[in-house]
Amino acid sequence: MPEVSKLRKPDVKIVLLGDMNVGKTSLLHRYTERRFKDTVSTVGGAFFLKQWGPYNISIWDTAGREQFHGLGSMYCRGAAAVILTYDVTNWQSLAELEERFLSLTDTANHDCIYAVVGNKADLTDPKAQVHQDSDSVSEEGPRTESQVLSACPTPPASPVSLSGLMLHKQVTHEDAVALYGRLLRYKGLDEKASLPADKMCFETSAKTGYNVDTLFETLFDLVLPSILRKRNENKESPTVDLEDCRGTGKKTRSSCC
Amino acid sequence: MERDSHQEGEAQGVNICDPPNESNPSADTLATSLSLLGNHMFPDPVEKNDCSTGKDDPAQSLLSGVKAEEQHLDAEPRPNQVANMETEETACSNSSECQNNTSTQPANGGTEDAAINNDQSDSGEFVVTMLAKAKLEEQGLGVKGRSSPLLEAGTQESPAFMSHREEDVTADSWRQHRKHVFVLSEAGKPIYSRYGSEEALSSTMGVMMALVSFVQSGDNIIRSVYSEQHTVVFLQKGPLVLVCVSSSRQSEQQLRGELLYVYYQIISMLTQASISRIFEHKKNYDLRRLLAGSEKILDGLLNLVDSDPSFLLVAVHCLPLASSLRDSISQILQKAITPNLVFSILIAKNQLLTIVQEKTVIEDTRLEPSDVHLLLNLIGASSAFQAGEIWTPICLPLFNPDCYFYAYISYLDPPECTVCLLLLSTDKEAFYAVAECKRKIEEAMVAQNSLSLIAKAQSYSVSQVGVSDLRHFMYKPFDVPDNYRQLSQFTSPEMEAPYSSEEEKMRLLDLYRYMHSRIHSTSRPLKLIYHVAERETLLAWVTSKFELYTCFSPLVTKACAITAITKLLRWIKKEEDRLFIRYPPKYSTTPNPSKSSRSGKSDQQDSTDNGFLSLL
Repeated sequence: MPEVSKLRKPDVKIVLLGDMNVGKTSLLHRYTERRFKDTVSTVGGAFFLKQWGPYNISIWDTAGREQFHGLGSMYCRGAAAVILTYDVTNWQSLAELEERFLSLTDTANHDCIYAVVGNKADLTDPKAQVHQDSDSVSEEGPRTESQVLSACPTPPASPVSLSGLMLHKQVTHEDAVALYGRLLRYKGLDEKASLPADKMCFETSAKTGYNVDTLFETLFDLVLPSILRKRNENKESPTVDLEDCRGTGKKTRSSCC
Repeated sequence: MERDSHQEGEAQGVNICDPPNESNPSADTLATSLSLLGNHMFPDPVEKNDCSTGKDDPAQSLLSGVKAEEQHLDAEPRPNQVANMETEETACSNSSECQNNTSTQPANGGTEDAAINNDQSDSGEFVVTMLAKAKLEEQGLGVKGRSSPLLEAGTQESPAFMSHREEDVTADSWRQHRKHVFVLSEAGKPIYSRYGSEEALSSTMGVMMALVSFVQSGDNIIRSVYSEQHTVVFLQKGPLVLVCVSSSRQSEQQLRGELLYVYYQIISMLTQASISRIFEHKKNYDLRRLLAGSEKILDGLLNLVDSDPSFLLVAVHCLPLASSLRDSISQILQKAITPNLVFSILIAKNQLLTIVQEKTVIEDTRLEPSDVHLLLNLIGASSAFQAGEIWTPICLPLFNPDCYFYAYISYLDPPECTVCLLLLSTDKEAFYAVAECKRKIEEAMVAQNSLSLIAKAQSYSVSQVGVSDLRHFMYKPFDVPDNYRQLSQFTSPEMEAPYSSEEEKMRLLDLYRYMHSRIHSTSRPLKLIYHVAERETLLAWVTSKFELYTCFSPLVTKACAITAITKLLRWIKKEEDRLFIRYPPKYSTTPNPSKSSRSGKSDQQDSTDNGFLSLL
């Protein structure tokens, strides 16, 4: 990440949510660094600033561990888009989205957009096994999930994908679409007025890069209006306050001694 | 053969109740439960069990202390000349005497032993049921483990991919690990095992819990079990039980200290208050649910405990740096503040560079070295994805075990990631404000070219001291009255040849651990110890001003070593400003001074609304 971008103010906030070991950090890493590597379990949340054309997009990569559940709503405050991530080989990870993570989005913007993303598609879908960016193929190491095996229902993938065997897909695209529908109802949004489920449900593979760019670019395109509106607001007040996106309640805090 | 007769002897020694379970006639005494544990844990049959229980009974702690000592003496050639009043000979004769006693009777004789026996008859049935159950489970599991072709194939095919967690707990290699650490709940539920999965070890942990509650039922606390090869140390903290099974020949005290670090690391992630709350509410809660994903942090801690002497010395190792540079960096941190910021810590190459503290916090208390160790370990374990800025709740258990700080962690020199900034705030929502502090710090450091100056800083070589025959040392100054609030620190040169390989480093550390255990022995603390080992000579010295461990080449004479130490102390005095953080600067960020003090109300609030209420 270039130094300059760090000094810029973020224009918009995107949050990655989902159970542990579904691959949130890997997805983001695939998108920003163009490669797949072993990650360790995220602690708390990690903040990234991604430069996208003239815009600065802040991305919160959160920990899926229940230990850090309490901080979830803080990460989501003022979010313009939330990526709800599950693991296509693990039904429970989809169920967790509804049970644990949906309520965290209460603090997001009221016009926040939601994407439901099934990661690890390479384990169940031959077409997701084709590597998306040629430059990264050589860097691929065998996928090791050793560090998470005890808690992760997904078996180690390397022997499976190498031998061409497919894992049983536990979550279908239709399940994700259904979840998206319930999500809209939870938010009290009109299904017809909102973005269609077909457009907002993705299946990706952080390992091969399948659909990862599509996911992020689609979201960035969709949050563009929200960026422009915010920039307009900022034009009116010449000083940009970082705290803005967190609502006005915190204004008093910024007066420091 | 020998083992059989021994087991019989043991059984006779403590067996007092009728065996109510026909299918498991052997699992009916404390003695057999020990050997049951032994069968699983130890490669060789347990030939001698010395169960030292009791609440600080001086006689008994003396016995166990003496015993540990004798094991050390056996292992080493024997030329120990202790420059102290006490003589080794008397200790040895004492200990061999009590050895004779204990080898036939697992619980040390005396009045207390009788008390245990009496209680045993009351609770015997309970333990029998527990143990019989555990044994059955274990057998079932063992068979299942062996008969699974998948498991075997996996083990043979790709040992490189095997993590510690997948280890076959029935294999010999598992038993031969130098140090096992287990954490379980009072209900006997496994929480953590350093090697092997907790599920596979549930019966072993059940036996451990049975031992703990058996002794507990006699109004007593189990502290340790000694066998020839292993020391088993128990530590009970609140609803958690921590057990260490070690063949490292460390003292019981040291091992208990290490278990305490494990406990504190768990507290640092969950807080003591929420752990108590969870277990109060649900005794058989599976804490792994909350700790899932944190195993790496505990693994990392245990590796550090074995390889980094700062844990042994309970002091922080800071990076040697010209005091002018350290001061200028401290000033940068001192200026970049925001409300509720309490600690600004800069770390380079995993060593402390500087630490700036909030004034009012420090008036109340000081930052403990153990808390810094836990922070450093957390950073080390979460550094895989280094480009981002991390914001996470963290509890400093020695500072306040019940509340959270919010830690901002960011590397200042990507992609190398050797210089790490750690800012601790008491405000959960302060991320953006704290991140702004980092920008200010970053800008100022760029302006002063600090990063490249830090990059040049490095640990020093022992040759710089200019004392021949001195190979390595560790020096920890104690608090002097006027800077009582200062963080405990120690200084130590790089480990160089002949201690460059991992094995040799470990060997030297083991020697230091031995010296440390002698100096800090509860029964017979020593002030000065001169120890001629096989390949080096060591001298350890503790005074009211400092604690010093030195390692010399084997041919040094006692007089030579004393002169060398005088020179070394003179050198350290001269270099003091560079080797230590002398005057940690402070800042004031709280408009309301009472707010961020120890056990401040605002902190308490934070800990309670961190999601745990939703669990209950």
